[in-house]
Amino acid sequence: MFETVEDVQKRLEEQGYICDRRIATVVYLALKLEKPVLVEGPAGVGKTELAKVVAKAAGRPLVRLQCYEGLDEAKALYEWEYSKQLLYTQILKEKISEVMEGTKSLREAAERVGQQDSVFFSEQFIVPRPLLHAITSKEPTALLIDEVDKSDPEFEAFLLEVLSDFQVTVPEIGTFEAVTRPIVFLTSNDAREMSDALKRRCLHLWIDYPDEEVERKILEVKVPGMDQKLVADVVALMQKLRSLDLKKAPSISETLDWARALLALNATSLDEDLVKDTMSVILKYEADIRKAQQELSRMMTKPTPAPGEVPGAPAPPRKKGTLH
Amino acid sequence: MQRKILEFANLLRQSGLRVSVSEAIDAFQALGELSLADRDVFRDALRASLVKRGDDIATYDQLFDLYWSGFYDNLKNAFDSATGSLGEQGIDVERLLEQIRQMLESGQMPEGEIDLSELARALLTGDLNQLEQMIRAAAAQAGAARIENMLQIGFFSRRTMESLGAEGAANELRELAARLRAAGMGDAEADAIGKLAERFFEALRKSVRDFMERELQTRNFDYMEKFRREALFEKSFYSLTEDEIARMREVVSRLAQKIKNVMSIRRKRRKKGKLDLHTMLRRNAGHGGVPFELVFKEKRKDRPKLVILCDVSSSVANVSRFMLQFVYSLQECFTKIRAFVFVAELGEVTPVFQDHDVSKAIEEALEGGGVINVYTRSNFGMAFHIFWRDFLSAVDAKTTVLILGDARNNYNDPKAWCLRDLHTKAKNVIWLNPESPSAWGFGDSVMDKYLPYTTMAEECRNLRQLSRVVDKLVL
Repeated sequence: MFETVEDVQKRLEEQGYICDRRIATVVYLALKLEKPVLVEGPAGVGKTELAKVVAKAAGRPLVRLQCYEGLDEAKALYEWEYSKQLLYTQILKEKISEVMEGTKSLREAAERVGQQDSVFFSEQFIVPRPLLHAITSKEPTALLIDEVDKSDPEFEAFLLEVLSDFQVTVPEIGTFEAVTRPIVFLTSNDAREMSDALKRRCLHLWIDYPDEEVERKILEVKVPGMDQKLVADVVALMQKLRSLDLKKAPSISETLDWARALLALNATSLDEDLVKDTMSVILKYEADIRKAQQELSRMMTKPTPAPGEVPGAPAPPRKKGTLH
Repeated sequence: MQRKILEFANLLRQSGLRVSVSEAIDAFQALGELSLADRDVFRDALRASLVKRGDDIATYDQLFDLYWSGFYDNLKNAFDSATGSLGEQGIDVERLLEQIRQMLESGQMPEGEIDLSELARALLTGDLNQLEQMIRAAAAQAGAARIENMLQIGFFSRRTMESLGAEGAANELRELAARLRAAGMGDAEADAIGKLAERFFEALRKSVRDFMERELQTRNFDYMEKFRREALFEKSFYSLTEDEIARMREVVSRLAQKIKNVMSIRRKRRKKGKLDLHTMLRRNAGHGGVPFELVFKEKRKDRPKLVILCDVSSSVANVSRFMLQFVYSLQECFTKIRAFVFVAELGEVTPVFQDHDVSKAIEEALEGGGVINVYTRSNFGMAFHIFWRDFLSAVDAKTTVLILGDARNNYNDPKAWCLRDLHTKAKNVIWLNPESPSAWGFGDSVMDKYLPYTTMAEECRNLRQLSRVVDKLVL
């Protein structure tokens, strides 16, 4: 499917997804080792998008399972179609009495029915939900289990069987095994930590905010028609905003929204007023906007004062520590 | 390679990462699929298969650099500088080595075969790969994995040299030089070989020492870090430096996150409620609508309301600081939080938290939040009386009241009856006192007067104790 890591990078780029080597490496490995990938990172950096794009680049249909609290097997895996079963028994009533014809005792009748009961518990009456669909599908699929951290721990435990063997057991019918293993992406926003058992079965990919160069490339691909200088300015300002101590740092999706907004406003260059007016596209909390506005003039005029060196500058972004 | 990866996985484990055997196997498999020429790809492949938490990435990166950054490179440097310095003296090292190599290969040694050890051969042929492996093997044999401190570097280096058989190899090289001289090689050249052998040994010794230093670093990488954090956990709030307060803030926010994670799981633990007809009918459709399985609505566990009274006089300011941070990081675990600060007067600072982000709000609250004067002497009786007078309506049967203070009342009237009324109204009254229980009630401490009206009174002087209380509070 993909020949090398570079190939992955190139093919994703053709689909309009700019990624660094790290992401490409993990995608490549996931395909080669047939392992699911757990994608984590701040909101809006393109976790879900990655799954979509990989599916597209690999030419596989994407099966998506959106997780939420209370999601259970019936909604994720399969469900018996009770109404259809009932309907069929009604319609087939005559046929059933035909089958029963000539039986003398109750026991005999029950046996006759018993011989036929697999009809009603066959694949015909199963409603496949995303997981079963991904596994039984004739053509290879890509499976996206989105926001898996929102699901309950019980569901997570149940996912383990699916992810390690790519098979699903329906007691009445038997075990379905994947013909070709789907490419599986799980995304998580870190609302809660996933269990070690689940993590062990996955490759792990941490997508962080992009660096300046990558972000510029993304903008060029996603929002064509923007002035080169404007792109550079937008990206530079976004990078600086991220270094502020904000409640919710703006991510790529905000950058794109903002760029589109600027394009719609026919802006050719950034000035302070324009930024102030459009700030609500980038920042989603009142307190963040206020803070950013205070810093704005400093961020836009001076070249790039390193945080910490300027008196009154915001604290540098906290380093992720290792306390557990 | 396998050994090295296992060792690396081990190292990660020692540094507090969780790496399972199956993950190490994944790492092998991953490497099998990739070309290893690119260091970054190698790093990413290992990272994807071994590290599964965002928080661990920083540690991984550091360890990776420490472990995989070439010992080989250092080895090469050491040997290059050894040959280089001879080159400056006008000796053509390359030619000399070439000569010897040819002699070794063709087996045409003067005065019959000379039995060179592996080490001597590796040195003469400049096979540094081989040399690296030999050093690693010898170090393992010498028990270098047990190295614990700086003082042991010399000892383990010596033992590694011994198990390498360095002394023997040196003798062999000397003998080789002597034989070549006897076979009519020029004095200058024979001397050069002698010198070269010496330099090589110097380089070898240096490399082995370097290897040990790395070994120590990798083993000890987490040691200081762990030590520091442990200390921070146990350290009394009374004696924190500015820097420690900053780091502590970070630790508190991470602890809060942890509690939140646990909470999201515990939330599931609910009590049974009324019959849920809707779901029941749906679930029993398979039985023809006969309700075989009963389904009940689930009741969520009530989240507590919290009223927090913080003494912000300098003696307990740090306890208040971190408690407030905890409480506000865990806001969603409570239905409602109201915060009050006092020294003598008491005032509400809840609005401060709504206007600012946590760290700024806390600083402001500790300064009195603009509602009270903090530059007076503590008077718990007065503070409680004001609360009783103005804010008692904030307390109901679902409210947990959290009081932080040392109960050093400067011989004022304790007015314990205010607390008694509070206690009757509230669900819980929890008192956190940074002093140890043995000091309660002595001197101007009126803790003993208040004690009967608390549901729980705890000593709370460091982060460990504080987090234990928070645990009890929310879970």
